This record gives sequence, C-alpha cells and structure tokens, in this order.
Amino acid sequence: MFQDESSPLSSSSSPLQVFSMMSLSPNLGSPYPWLRELKSEERGLYLIHLLLTCANHVANGSLENANIALEQISQLASPDGDTMQRMAAYFTEALADRILKAWPGLHKALNSTRIALVSEEILVRKLFFEMFPFLKVAFVLTNQAVIEAMEGEKMVHIIDLNAAEPAQWVALIQALSARPEGQPHLRITGVHQRKEVLDQMAHRLTEEAEKLDLPFQFNPVVGKLENLDVEKLRVKTGEALAISSVLQLHSFLASDDEHHRKKSPLGSKNLNGVHLQRALQMNQSTLGELLEKDTVNGCSPSPDSASSSPLSSTGSVKIDGFLNALWGLSPKLMVVTEQDSNHNGSTLMERLLESLYSFAALFDCSESTAARTSLERFKVEKMLFGEEIKNIIACEGTERKERHEKLEKWIQRLNLAGFGNIPLSYYGMLHARRLLQGYNCDGYKMKEENGCVVICWQDRPLFSVSAWRCRK
Amino acid sequence: MPVDVDNYSTVSGDTCGSSSGNQNPPPKFTIKKKRSLPGMPDPDAEVIALSPKTLMATNRFVCEICNKGFQRDQNLQLHRRGHNLPWKLRQRSSKEVMKRVYVCPEPTCVHHDPTRALGDLTGIKKHFCRKHGEKKWKCDKCSKKYAVQSDWKAHSKICGTREYKCDCGTLFSRRDSFITHRAFCDALADESGKAQTDPSSEPDPKVLVVESSPSPALQPAPPPVSAPAPVEVQVSAPALPQSTSAMTSVMPIQSSELAVDPNSIVEEAPAPAQAGLNGSCSSGVSSVSNGSSCSSSVFASLFASSTASASLTPPQPRAFTDLIRAMGPPECPADLAPSTSIEPISLCLSTSHGSSIFGNAGQERQQYVPPPQPAMSATALLQKAAQMGAAASNASLLRGLGVVSSSSSAQQENLQWGKRQVEPNNASVAAGLGLGLPCDRSSVLKELMMGTPVFGPKQTTLDFLGLGVAASGSPNGGLSALFTSIGGGLDVDAAAALFGGGDFKDVIRRS
Repeated sequence: MFQDESSPLSSSSSPLQVFSMMSLSPNLGSPYPWLRELKSEERGLYLIHLLLTCANHVANGSLENANIALEQISQLASPDGDTMQRMAAYFTEALADRILKAWPGLHKALNSTRIALVSEEILVRKLFFEMFPFLKVAFVLTNQAVIEAMEGEKMVHIIDLNAAEPAQWVALIQALSARPEGQPHLRITGVHQRKEVLDQMAHRLTEEAEKLDLPFQFNPVVGKLENLDVEKLRVKTGEALAISSVLQLHSFLASDDEHHRKKSPLGSKNLNGVHLQRALQMNQSTLGELLEKDTVNGCSPSPDSASSSPLSSTGSVKIDGFLNALWGLSPKLMVVTEQDSNHNGSTLMERLLESLYSFAALFDCSESTAARTSLERFKVEKMLFGEEIKNIIACEGTERKERHEKLEKWIQRLNLAGFGNIPLSYYGMLHARRLLQGYNCDGYKMKEENGCVVICWQDRPLFSVSAWRCRK
Repeated sequence: MPVDVDNYSTVSGDTCGSSSGNQNPPPKFTIKKKRSLPGMPDPDAEVIALSPKTLMATNRFVCEICNKGFQRDQNLQLHRRGHNLPWKLRQRSSKEVMKRVYVCPEPTCVHHDPTRALGDLTGIKKHFCRKHGEKKWKCDKCSKKYAVQSDWKAHSKICGTREYKCDCGTLFSRRDSFITHRAFCDALADESGKAQTDPSSEPDPKVLVVESSPSPALQPAPPPVSAPAPVEVQVSAPALPQSTSAMTSVMPIQSSELAVDPNSIVEEAPAPAQAGLNGSCSSGVSSVSNGSSCSSSVFASLFASSTASASLTPPQPRAFTDLIRAMGPPECPADLAPSTSIEPISLCLSTSHGSSIFGNAGQERQQYVPPPQPAMSATALLQKAAQMGAAASNASLLRGLGVVSSSSSAQQENLQWGKRQVEPNNASVAAGLGLGLPCDRSSVLKELMMGTPVFGPKQTTLDFLGLGVAASGSPNGGLSALFTSIGGGLDVDAAAALFGGGDFKDVIRRS
C-alpha cells in the first residue's frame, strides 16, 4: 500500500521509487539487497538517519527498536568503507555497548577476555602523532611558548603530564641548546602510566641531550595522572617551571554525575527526565541554534548543557583540585592542549550529535590522510577514535573520561583556578602554520582566538592550544 | 737531455727509475715502483708522477732529434722514422715494455697516492681535468659544463635527444634513472597499472613490521630493507623525485619527513641528517622505527632557534609538501559538499549526479587506488542530513514518497527529548522520514505508530507536509529537526512504555 501512496517520482529509475516499491516486509532478519544498491551518499545519509534513530531508541530505552536500527546499520556500516560507513560502525558499536551495559554481567562476560595490548596502544598513539598534524602543531606551539617563557632562565623544569612522545622534547632540547644566551640546565619530569614508555623517553632524551652537551635530567613519574601527587614532581625553588598538558585535563571532569543515576542507565530517563526536561527546555532554542550553526559553519558555541555549565558543579571538584595543585607549583608557564568539542553533554543525544560532527571531521581527516586499505589508519580509527566514541557514548559517570569541552569552558576554568592567559607567540604560530601547510592537505586550518590557537578540519574546530601563567 | 728528475723515493726507498725520453723542460718525477692495491693489474708497474703542466701538455711526445712535440706516441714514431736513425737508436728504450701507472698531481686527490695510481695516461689526464680542472666546455642546450672536451662532446650528442619525462615534469635522458624516479614519483596520473616498478598502490600490511616495541623508535636504524626494490609506492616518494636529482643537505629533512608518512610506515628513508641517504633515497625503504627519531629531526629543524638556521626553514615546507602529498588528494572530498548539498534534495540521486561526484573528486592524485565511489565526506553528509531534516523545499518529494504520517500522538515534549519543540509530530516525522529513504522501515514504523493506521492520514500528511515542515519552524536546524522527527514517532512507544511501566525498563540498570 505504500506503493499506492507513492506518486511516481521524476525518473522511473529513481532509487527512491525503488525503495518505495519494496515491500514493507517486516522480516527483520532478511538482508536488504537493495541496500547494496545505495550510492555512497545516499547510504551515508541513511546511515546518519539510522544512527540518530537508533540513538534515540537507546536513549528511550526501547531496545527492540534500537535492535532493529542496529541491524539495519550493520548492513551498511563497515570499518573498511567510506568515512560515513566507518563512523557508523564505531558509533553503533558504542551504542550497542551502551545497551549492553544495562546487563552488567553480560557486558563483563563479553569483555572478559579482552586484554589491552600495551604495545598496540603505544603504537596507535604514535601513529596518531605521525599521521595527523594535531599533536605536532601542539608541540610546536608548546615548545615555542616554553622557549619564550624561559628566556634568560638558567634552570628550566618541564613537567609533561603525559610523557609519551619524545619528539616534542627532543626538539625543545635542540632549541634550548642552540639559544643565543647559552644552554640552560634542563630537567624534564614525565608522568605516564607505563614505565616502559617513560624509560624509552628517558633514553631518547638523555641521548639527545648528551649529543648536544646540554645538562639534562629526566625524572619519570609512573602512575595515573588523576592520582598524581604533586610532591612527586619535585619542583625545586629557583627553577622556572613549565607544565605541558596535552589532552589530559578533560578526564578530570569525570565524575559521578547527578544527572545519571543507576536507575536510568540508558541516558535521560524518567527520574531525571523531569530535571532534564526543564533544563533542556530552557536550552531548546540554544540547542537548535547550535545545530543550525553547526550546519552552517561547523562551529558550535558551547550549549549550556545542564550538567557542565555551572562550573562549580560536582563534576568540577576533581579538576579544580588538580588545577589548584598545579597552580600551587607556581609554574611560569602552562600550555594546555585539549580537544575543542563539547562531548560532555549530559544527555546521550547531545553528546551523540556533537560527536557526530567532531568525528566526522576526524574521519574525513583520516580519509584524506591514508588509504582505505591502510592498516595504520584502521588501527588509529579503531583503537583511538573508536574507543573515544565508545567512551563518550556508552559510558557514564566516572567511567566516561572523554569529557571534551570547548575552549571557552577551559578558559573559564583556568581563569577561576588562578591562571592568566598568555597569548601564543606569532612566531610559534608561524611555525605551526608552516607545518600544517606542509601537510599539503587543504582541510587543516588554524585559527587564532584570543591568543589561543584552534586547529580545525575544514570548519570544525578539533583541538585547541592555549598558554597560561600563574596569576597571583 | 736535461732530465730534471726530482727523485723522491717513496716507501720503497729504491733508487729512482729513469724518466721517459722527454726533452721538454716540463719535468717528470718518477717514483719507484710501488705495489698497488688490488685491482691494479701490474704491481711492478712503474709509477709516474707528472706535474700538472706535463699532464696537460698536449705535445708530450717529443722527438729527441729535433725536439718536435707530438700528441701521440705513434705520431712521434712515424716522425722519427723520417730522421733515418741508425738501427741502434731506432729502438726505444726497453722501458717501453714496462707498464706505467700514473698518479694524480693534486695532493688532495685520492689518486695522488701511488698505490691508487691509474693505469692509463689518458685516463689520468681526464681525471685531472674533470676533478681538478676548470670546466671550460659548456653544453649549449642545457647548462651543463664539462672540463674534458670528450665528455662535453658525448653529452651534447645526447642532450635533448632521448628524453623521458615524468608526469611531474622532470626530464631524464637515461632510461634507468627515469624508471627509478617514476617509481617514487607521486604524480602517477594513472592507476597502478603504470610503471613496472610501481607495484602496489595499496599499502602493504607489512606495516605490522612497525611492531609494538617502542624501542626501535630509539635507534635511527639504517634501512634494513633498503637494498631491495624501490617497490613501495606508498613511500612518500614525492620527496624523492626532487631529491634524487639533488641530493643536498635538504635530504635529511626530507627523508625525515618521509618517516612521517603514514602510508609508508614500513618503508621510509631513514634518518635524520645523514648523508647516507643517497643510496637509500632511491629505494627509500626503512623501518618505521625511524618514525620518532625522524620526526624529532623534523621538529629539530622546525625548532631552529630564532637566531639560527633560517636556512633550514625553507626546505621544510617543501619537504612536508613533498611528503604529505603522498598522504592524500590535494583537494579534499569535502569540497564536494557545497555543490552537492545545494542540489535538490531529492534523493533520487541519479547516476549522473553520482558521476559528477566522481568527476569532482581529485582522487587521481592519490597514491592509493581511489575508492570506487569517492564518497562525500562525513562532514558534508551530516550537513546535508541536517539540511534535509529541516528541509522545507522538498515537500513535494515527501509527498511523492508517500511518507507516512506519524502517529497522532501529540506528545511534543518527549521527556527524553526535551530539546524538540515541534508541535505537529506528523510533520516532523514526515520531515524526518522525508530524508527520502523510505527503506524498509515499515516494521519500525509499525512498532512506532502503535497501530496508527500507517497510510490513513495521508491526506493530513500532505497538508502537514505542506505546512508542517515549515510550521515546525523552530530554529531547529538540521539534525535536531531530524531528531524531532524520529522522536515523534518514537514518543508513542516510549511514552506508552514509560507509563505502562514496561518491565524490561525496570530491569535495565546501568552498570
């Protein structure tokens, strides 16, 4: 009967008509052969539609519908396909994971034999560093800020909150040893969970320093950043301190959010629904505007989602504590690199929307960087992007570590914690721009906002770098 | 015959040998015979050291009778015959039989050492000219200069004759260098079928060589695999063509850039700043382990302090350029977005439209085989979906689709949805569905609609469609409207379940 209703479209061979001609057979299990006929654009659009549908169902708790949607998506999504297919694959995996968390026993059982291969994780991070310019730009800007802040300083101490990539500091060592006023005495303290990584870093850096005859010392601090005791950093008086935080601060925002209780696992539910409804009703227009702006230029002012807008909410205790601790060290400089997207919305759909845009940009990046058959690309997408997506979508509360927020929020936070913004130097930005140009890929863009740098893909901001000093 | 023989004995310390029969003032210095390196045919050969003047002298062979000089010994002999020498004198001294080797008079030259003497006089003359002489001969077609006339002649014969031209514009007169270059040149206009040395356009799974061990990253490992074929296309070869022709100090940077290329993770020219790149350039293979060290050198160059090495900076962009050209098409597919999204949103994307996408994709420049369907970027798709969600312009399309109206549920405030403020669900659902992919959603719809006659309210649908989309008129752009639409139908289910206390929901607990 669908057919009856459908008026013939322009061309008789239009796929749509084909669709409408298809019987609306409710056998869900049967493959949809015509799905394969879809062109990539249509397929992509359909995937988006399905993803939203599915997420909606998941958010509502209507699992059967979600299942249907997942089934359909699985016919189309593939980690080997085009960007939308890949994205869909990872997003549905995240959604499915989310659903599964409702049955904790089942979830744990399915993950019981999953071992995190450390070597693979390390490799993937290195791949990300090399394939994409984001970290490199961040390093360039950080280093330049350090060099400038440390002009005239004889004793320089750098704390790297995630000491995984030696390249950054190698470059700094080279730059510092070549500076006109002579070499400083350099100390680098690196924090990381894995001892092997720190050992490797130590080796590499001391090797480089010895080559250049720079007095150098590397202090490893093994452990999780959130458990960091600043005493361990051994900051001495008289030395100039610089702190580098690359994509580390957002995990401090993870907390047992009030909005998501145990009883409403799948997102906004009846209990908090009321709160949410009120809160979100207030924000409807902003969200709508947000999305509209999203469509226009991909930049989204942070929607004041209920949970994260009041900075003094419960979620911020940890971060405030940490920032205060850092402030207590009186660093001369702190450079913060963070993702510049709002993935910390309180509702699933908010986060899904935002992350769809952000990861679309990232996957497009990836598409322009490597071949579809590239194993490295697959690894980065699966183990880095996929895991982030899973965390954003499927996890809640303290488990959800990937709480990316927009730059404005970070600026607010850091201001509150007693830091004052230092504009990034022109010279550094020049270097960074050259680096981006070197990638010879038109998509990368760099914007400057109030002295901070935002690295975008096309128009979508992805990462931000900002420099701070201790304001007394 | 004045024979100025400045005898300086070398290692052997023997008495010096005699000089040749030159009468000319240009003195010859003979050195005692020295044992020469392997490869020299005659260890007993007489080593002759000529002064530069002598070496360059054109008339080396001088008739002892009349002092006439000749360029060739044979000519001298011919001439001597004319003097009617008595038989005894006619014979040349026995030393003619002895093999002679010559050393280069330039002290800094490696061939100055008697053990590295060259066996041929002409050879040593040419060597001296080439290496230590002034380049007086210039090719008129190109700008190459030569010190030896024969070199110059040989070159001008072939200059411009046979030229192989790579697609990137580099010219080669030699087939082998052309082929080598082409293997690495990124400007492969055609697909993989091109050069014989252009193997896979796909990256090899060899990538796994990278391994997980972090330690390799520490050593700038010399290219373990450099010797074998310069096979991998994935090598960020773009750097190579330019560099192979000019192996300058820029190479280190470039090769370090190479290390950054993700595609060629396995094969990359190694390391930083060693001149040993020359060999590896053409093969350009190494293990990824160089990645970090290479990238560090990248940074090193990047971080040249403000006072220093401004000269380093220029090569970098080029290096990056060369390198990164390998990474992908210069024009990102996202560029397709504007054009395509403006198109009538009718999803009856005919093949013609599809082919326009093909046409736009600048994929041919990629090193890897472009995907059969150059897809729109995800960003573009999202934007399009957003637009379609809010689309007001395709009411007719929606009508045509016979889009089902949604349930009659007037639950606008989806408790879950809050953000939507669309009133007429029907319209919104229709709009959502109007994405135009009325694929097999019937089952979903059925569940959603909770028994609402699917096709019944078509009339209303039409009306709503006519108005609805517009009426939904909230500033909801894009995807939110989409949500709205989806949610509209879902409301029914959800709401019912909510209030009905669907037990499975109670069971659901977050972990």
